[in-house]
Amino acid sequence: MSIGGSDLDKAIGQLRACRPIPENQVRELCYKARELLIEEGNVVGVDAPVTICGDIHGQFHDLMELFRVGGDVPDTNYLFMGDFVDRGFYSLESFLLLLCLKVRYPDRITLIRGNHESRQITTVYGFYDECLRKYGSANVWRYCCEVFDYLALGALVTGATTSLSPTDGPLADNTNIDSLPDSDADIEIETLNANGEIMYRYARNSDSQSSAASQANSNPASSSPVAPTPTRTGPAGTGASGSANGSKGNDTGAILCVHGGLSPLIDTIDKIRLLDRKQEVPHEGAMCDLLWSDPDEIDGWGLSPRGAGFLFGADIVKCFNHRNDLSLIARAHQLVMEGFKEMFDSTIVTVWSAPNYCYRCGNVAAILELGEDGSNAGFVRRSNGDQGGGNGGWVLGSNVGNGNNGGQGGNGNRRLSSVLGDSMRPREGPGRRYRVFEAAPQDSRGMPAKKPVADYFL
Amino acid sequence: MALVGAPANDRKRVKVYELKNNDWFDRGTGFCRGVVVNQEEAKILVSSEDDPSRQLLETKIGKDDGYQKQQDTLIVWTETNGTDMALSFQEPEGCAGIWDFVNEVQSRLQALAPDDGLSDDVNGEQNNTPILLPSPDLGNLPEIENHMRAASGTPNGREALAKFVLSQDYIRKMIPLVEMAEDLESVSDLHRLCSIMKMLILLNDTSIIEYVVTDDVILGVVGALEYDPDFPLHKANHRQYLSDESKFKEVVKIEEQFIKKKIHYTYRLQYLKDVVLARILDDPTFSVLNSLIFYHQVDIVQNLQANPSFLKELFGIFSPKEHNLQRKKDAVLFIQQCCAIAKSIQANARAQLYQNYINAGLLDVIQFALKHQDAAVRVAGTDILVALIDHDALMVRTLVFKAIQEKAKPLTDTLIELLLIEVDLGVKAQMADAIKILLDPNANSASIEALSRTNSDFLAKVRGSLPSIPQTDSFIQNFYDESARKLFQPLKDLEGRESMDDLTIQEVSLYSHLVEVLCFFIRQHSYRSKYFILSEGLAARVAQLMNCPEKHLKLTALKYFRTCIGLHDEFHNRQITGNRLFEPILQILFDTMPRDNLLNSACLELFEFIKRENIKMIITHLVETYRDRLETVTYVDTFQSLIMRYDQMHEPPTTQELENSFTSVDSDTPARPVGLVNGNKWGHGLKESDHEEHPYFTSDDDDDGLPSSVKPALNGASPVRPLVNYPDDDGDEDGMDILASSAPSSVAHSISTSTQTQVNTVESTAKSETSSPPERASEKRRREEDEEDELLATLPSSSSKRRASVNSSSSTKSLRNLRRKGSLSSTKDGGGGPKGIPIVIPLKSGGEGGDGD
Repeated sequence: MSIGGSDLDKAIGQLRACRPIPENQVRELCYKARELLIEEGNVVGVDAPVTICGDIHGQFHDLMELFRVGGDVPDTNYLFMGDFVDRGFYSLESFLLLLCLKVRYPDRITLIRGNHESRQITTVYGFYDECLRKYGSANVWRYCCEVFDYLALGALVTGATTSLSPTDGPLADNTNIDSLPDSDADIEIETLNANGEIMYRYARNSDSQSSAASQANSNPASSSPVAPTPTRTGPAGTGASGSANGSKGNDTGAILCVHGGLSPLIDTIDKIRLLDRKQEVPHEGAMCDLLWSDPDEIDGWGLSPRGAGFLFGADIVKCFNHRNDLSLIARAHQLVMEGFKEMFDSTIVTVWSAPNYCYRCGNVAAILELGEDGSNAGFVRRSNGDQGGGNGGWVLGSNVGNGNNGGQGGNGNRRLSSVLGDSMRPREGPGRRYRVFEAAPQDSRGMPAKKPVADYFL
Repeated sequence: MALVGAPANDRKRVKVYELKNNDWFDRGTGFCRGVVVNQEEAKILVSSEDDPSRQLLETKIGKDDGYQKQQDTLIVWTETNGTDMALSFQEPEGCAGIWDFVNEVQSRLQALAPDDGLSDDVNGEQNNTPILLPSPDLGNLPEIENHMRAASGTPNGREALAKFVLSQDYIRKMIPLVEMAEDLESVSDLHRLCSIMKMLILLNDTSIIEYVVTDDVILGVVGALEYDPDFPLHKANHRQYLSDESKFKEVVKIEEQFIKKKIHYTYRLQYLKDVVLARILDDPTFSVLNSLIFYHQVDIVQNLQANPSFLKELFGIFSPKEHNLQRKKDAVLFIQQCCAIAKSIQANARAQLYQNYINAGLLDVIQFALKHQDAAVRVAGTDILVALIDHDALMVRTLVFKAIQEKAKPLTDTLIELLLIEVDLGVKAQMADAIKILLDPNANSASIEALSRTNSDFLAKVRGSLPSIPQTDSFIQNFYDESARKLFQPLKDLEGRESMDDLTIQEVSLYSHLVEVLCFFIRQHSYRSKYFILSEGLAARVAQLMNCPEKHLKLTALKYFRTCIGLHDEFHNRQITGNRLFEPILQILFDTMPRDNLLNSACLELFEFIKRENIKMIITHLVETYRDRLETVTYVDTFQSLIMRYDQMHEPPTTQELENSFTSVDSDTPARPVGLVNGNKWGHGLKESDHEEHPYFTSDDDDDGLPSSVKPALNGASPVRPLVNYPDDDGDEDGMDILASSAPSSVAHSISTSTQTQVNTVESTAKSETSSPPERASEKRRREEDEEDELLATLPSSSSKRRASVNSSSSTKSLRNLRRKGSLSSTKDGGGGPKGIPIVIPLKSGGEGGDGD
């Protein structure tokens, strides 16, 4: 009855070939996944190194391209920030493959919920119809929706290094070598193309003059980065500011990953834990906001044109990050033509992983790699569902006087010191390596199309 | 928008002419090029052949100017000053290049320009030169493609092109070229044919699209589309797929040829939409395809349902005389498809259709399908049933009644029996949904489609605001009298079961459906379900499920209690406390604590809710029964707060509190926010049941040590009176109180007027609050509550009683009201919209924070 070891590998193989697995296997898979996911917190703890991915939207072949560019599972750890389904023609295969990988390698891949992982949305934007078409009944859709209800709402990445270990990739054709920082500098941001060639690189402590120059020269990506606003001095496409504080060291705050953004009801990450997430995405409230909100160039909170969630400005993000000892919020949810977009002095980044969205938007996609902080050895974090007591890790809020799980471990102290130490100074961001890629080459796949109606009576 | 690329820089030799006195005056020979100056401007330049520094012509391309291409080498237009000009090209390619450039620039300019409605049409007249394409052959495909591309750049060009293509039967003329090119293995020609065909379809002309799916040309059209230049190494096999006749299942012979044709056309349109054009469809063409498909389907269904002999044969398939099992199965699927299409046709026509179907024996078909051994047929059967209830729940209930009176087995019982024994877990879920829909008092008013697809919990919340119909009521009464016991028997049978460790997958699935149905019932049929749950002792059985090892079933059971408590119904609360049903809930909490997982969060949420809503009866029970255990839970402050609440409640009253005793009484009201949680539905249920329920509510009021002054009548009579008798000066001093307290009244009564003032107050408070961190807001909130208490003391107690209860509930809901308000305000002041509406936030988190301490 159970879909175990070799069956699972068989299913993975079949799905990798973009062929759906039989309905009874889907059911088994979904039940297995449910058991795993029920053990995950609303905010899953994830250790660096990890590669963070944004919306997939059923673009199966591009998901394969993503794995080619970012490394295969389980060699690379992945965190997908939701919106696996809808719009593209292979939602089913994409989601089931990710789910299979989750069941097969639970500690290697993390899936969190996007606003499209919902009954209401999928009936409108394609996943429901796709399931109906591919299986002849809505059963598979029901199983998948049940799994959606169990998906975590966010993830917290800890143990990321502040400076990237340099890649030895060659330079991309149009990269000016003079614009790259010295090889011994702390690399904060690096962008690579799909072939692993360096498109640009940005050192943490380079003064704003030279980085501005490097931006002008390298202005690289085939992806036509957004025109940087004058206040920004980092490389195009990133919002990195040259004013990153000078303190050396590898201590970066955690990175919160969530599909949409912040909620006015959630001022600390601990509050997310107090939600009962096993439900359809509501039309309002904290859970809705986390999946629907967008950052915007405003002060405070604003109404979202989407009709759900809110818009939130730089002040909100900075305040939240400081309060929760975060260095960065990674989110998805919005198409960005360059694949990624840092905002608000690199306190929040949008990652988008569906190239040529809807097969016609012409955008490139990106994934965000966070390296492991090697110097942090001995700082053990609990993995999903482990007993939290005793070994620190990300423990719920009132760390002070928690009688139950005893020792504070390194983390409690870390939080404390960071709050006391550098009052409102922003946390030094993690080193960020973006890999930018385009839609899978046309010839590597058939023409994308929906499955035609099989038999017809009318 | 991307800039239009300048044409290739090969020099195009031209003569420049100017019309003077009706005669073309030769301004010289030179080389022509198109230049993009910027986003809004592009020019045609001709520099002299003899002296490249001398410009023979420099003209800006206007968006409306009537450029014409004559023959293959001539472009003619009128300058803005009225002069007619012409360029005569040496090579047709050169002319085509510049012509394409002009067209691209113009279409871009038109896209950029604000739509100026009328004037466009006027200009369109001038621009609407008929298009003439050469008769197609493999030799002139490039030329045809270029012409078409150029023409399809402008709305007028598209219109003219569509007209031409239809009038000349151009598509038919192109079709033979596909096979010719295939024979010659000329890939480039095939790619061109494909591009041309794509362009023609994307002209988005209904007549063209209808034409391409007709029998004569469809295979040729999709044949051309098999060679997509975007996928040079692939060839699709559309022709093979579409020419496979076996995909059409003709369950009953359709005599009328035009209907049969329509069925095929519809199928081909779907295929075009889903497969051939899926990747390249733009929104307008997509919707044209969709509406064509829709209208065809409606026509077909309408025609068939009105045909008595057809119906007779269709439903005759289910008579014992028919032995072909496959045919029976196909007939069910056929009817399912008809019902699916019927969902979107007009109500009258749909009523007619179902009436005809029912007369012909639809119910027997459903019974047949539900019992079919093939899960796919059972799915179809439930689909049909659900569609039927969706269409007219009253009618279905009448039919069920009729069956009961005739001592026949009603549909409900069939459904229940099947749910209990169904082995296909997907079908089981669907049947559980069908039961919910059948018993949903509001089923007629909301789309069942939505219910079967939406989480029913969610739906139960959304609904509940509409009064139920009397007949529905007696139907539901009948259900509780007769059928409910059968449905929930498996739950009841759990009594005495010693171990929950050995549940089968089927059992687990059944129990979780039953508990979910039960959750739905306690929301929808508040009082009937209460008696039922009480008499059957179901709450304890659900609690028992929390001892099973299956975590998702634990969670489902936990949800039942969360739903109960969310109703703010003293009856349910007493059931829970009286049977000590928090025991297993706490067990889950301690089992999972302090692990961060879903079950643990669900527990925390439950206790957070009790804390936030300050449900005193439960707090008292919890602390008095489990104080020691609760004290050990310190990884969140929820439980400390609960204990603190309790202690505060039981402190000897100070003098001040004695004075204000009515406020504490009021906030005791266990059912306080009922109106908000459950809408009028609850109020309705309560009204009709007041006389019956009263004993339940009052019977042991005196025992449980709660302040007994709270009568349920208060809940039903909730905030009728608006809360505006606030002294003015106080309102000025602090906007937030007004906000919170008047929110419900604004919803109920005068949204528009109160909105304005509320928005103002929000903005003014927000200004002062934006930069301050949330903790400050919570302090502020607490201050305000204090102030309000003082204020209350000065009001006559009879009205303030009401006020206080409303006020406290509204504070929990203030965010919702603000949201609503926010959207109103944004529509009101138009563009001012999203910027700087820093609203809400401090308020709400303040509210919570205040409670949290």
